[in-house]
Amino acid sequence: MQFVRNILYSLKKYSYLLNQLVSRDFKVKYKRSILGIGWSLLYPLLMTAVMAVVFKNVFRFTTPGVSFIAYLMTGLTYFNYFSEASNLAMSSVVANFSLLNKVYIPKYIFPLSKCLFVGINFLITLIPLYAVILLTGTGLNIYHLLLPYSWVCLFMFTLGMSFLLSTIAVFMRDMFYIYGIVITLWTYLTPIMYDIAIIDKAWIVSLMKLNPMYNIINFERMIVLYHQMPSGASWLACFLSGAVVLVLGAVVFKKNQDKFIYYM
Amino acid sequence: MDEIMIKADHVSMRFNLGIEKGFSLKQGFVDLFNFRKRREKKQKKAENDFWALTDVNFEIRRGEVVGLIGSNGAGKSTMLKIVAGVLKPTKGTIATYGNICPMIELGAGFDMDLTARENVFLNGAVMGYSKSFLESKYEEIVAFSELQDFMDVPVRNFSSGMTARLAFSIATIVDPEILIVDEILSVGDLAFQQKSEEKMLSMIQGGTTVLYVSHSIESIIKLCDRVIWLERGHVRDYGDSERVCSAYVESIS
Repeated sequence: MQFVRNILYSLKKYSYLLNQLVSRDFKVKYKRSILGIGWSLLYPLLMTAVMAVVFKNVFRFTTPGVSFIAYLMTGLTYFNYFSEASNLAMSSVVANFSLLNKVYIPKYIFPLSKCLFVGINFLITLIPLYAVILLTGTGLNIYHLLLPYSWVCLFMFTLGMSFLLSTIAVFMRDMFYIYGIVITLWTYLTPIMYDIAIIDKAWIVSLMKLNPMYNIINFERMIVLYHQMPSGASWLACFLSGAVVLVLGAVVFKKNQDKFIYYM
Repeated sequence: MDEIMIKADHVSMRFNLGIEKGFSLKQGFVDLFNFRKRREKKQKKAENDFWALTDVNFEIRRGEVVGLIGSNGAGKSTMLKIVAGVLKPTKGTIATYGNICPMIELGAGFDMDLTARENVFLNGAVMGYSKSFLESKYEEIVAFSELQDFMDVPVRNFSSGMTARLAFSIATIVDPEILIVDEILSVGDLAFQQKSEEKMLSMIQGGTTVLYVSHSIESIIKLCDRVIWLERGHVRDYGDSERVCSAYVESIS
């Protein structure tokens, strides 16, 4: 209880700093760009278009019963959030070492601010996602109101991974390179551009279902593409994917944060 | 008047100088099969430990101005960082009561891509000030820095003197309960140097609790009520500033 109260107290105290860090990222991101925030809308559309051409027309991937573009985009929107936020957060502690060496700031604020910053960007990318959902004739349904649950799980998972990665990166800068490879592999191991049904070995499928990103995206696709209420198991898998990783990441981060300063 | 503001209780700080060398895969693999070296390495690790501070005790009461003196590497800056909360002591505890303004290095967290105005709020937030406080003091900060015409210019285009003036103006806007000063800063051109020095002196003499590090014995005697003399991480002496300072000067000559 005390621990939770301490976190809430420091979050309140540093909420203005958090706010400033997030808005700084926004100001810097679109500096000197003509389209500015328009890129947040256009970029996911263009990426999806390129991948759709490659995987649908060249590799002949199909998703029976649902539009391939909508299938691709539901996965990409979520996965891009995860990969961008965790990548930025990983270097956030190391990048702010000069600051941490001068004033006391709770260290978790840097990964958290990156996850929030990319999170706002994620909410903007929901606009092109919904445009695709409507234009492909996928259609809406009442269960869409449950989607924020999957966003919360996605956020928890990403934040937990960010805590883990930023801790490892402090002790071992090799992580920047390793993670680049890992995230590429992860993209292909998660059924984003193909249907999990095309895999015919049962043990591989059950292994793939342990992937937190699969569970979170699956929850979303149940609603958006298949117009179904996600099953109880699906709710639970989605929650555990986020919560377990968040707790794990937070514990590792908290245990090691006092040592960070020696590894500048 | 005798409320304790800073209390250091058996504070010790260890640095491991060997950490710098780091770990490489090749060396780690070679050492894995070299049992003698592994044993030696364990010993070496203990030898590499460097105690920047050992068993430091002091109490600073409200309104006291306390100086920290000692040669380079005596542990003064480490002590300031521990009081500021940047470092956590290896052993012992440090307790501080009240908001701390660390004037250790100014302009921490300036973003060169942002304008001066945006940096006032970002840097202020880093120092732990609230939004309403910064908004109410904004005009004062700008006036003190004399940079009225440049507030919408990115700090990237500032000269180093201008950046320092802005940072100084933000840092000194508060009335902190505990002020941590590493040398009296005088920044900018000649006129601003005088102005900033006066401002710092008035902050130190304004009745707040101050922990002040300086190599200028003159100013230590002038400003401080009491002095802590650190030598290789130990408190060599703690007491009346004139007595401790003269003992310190004598020990050098």
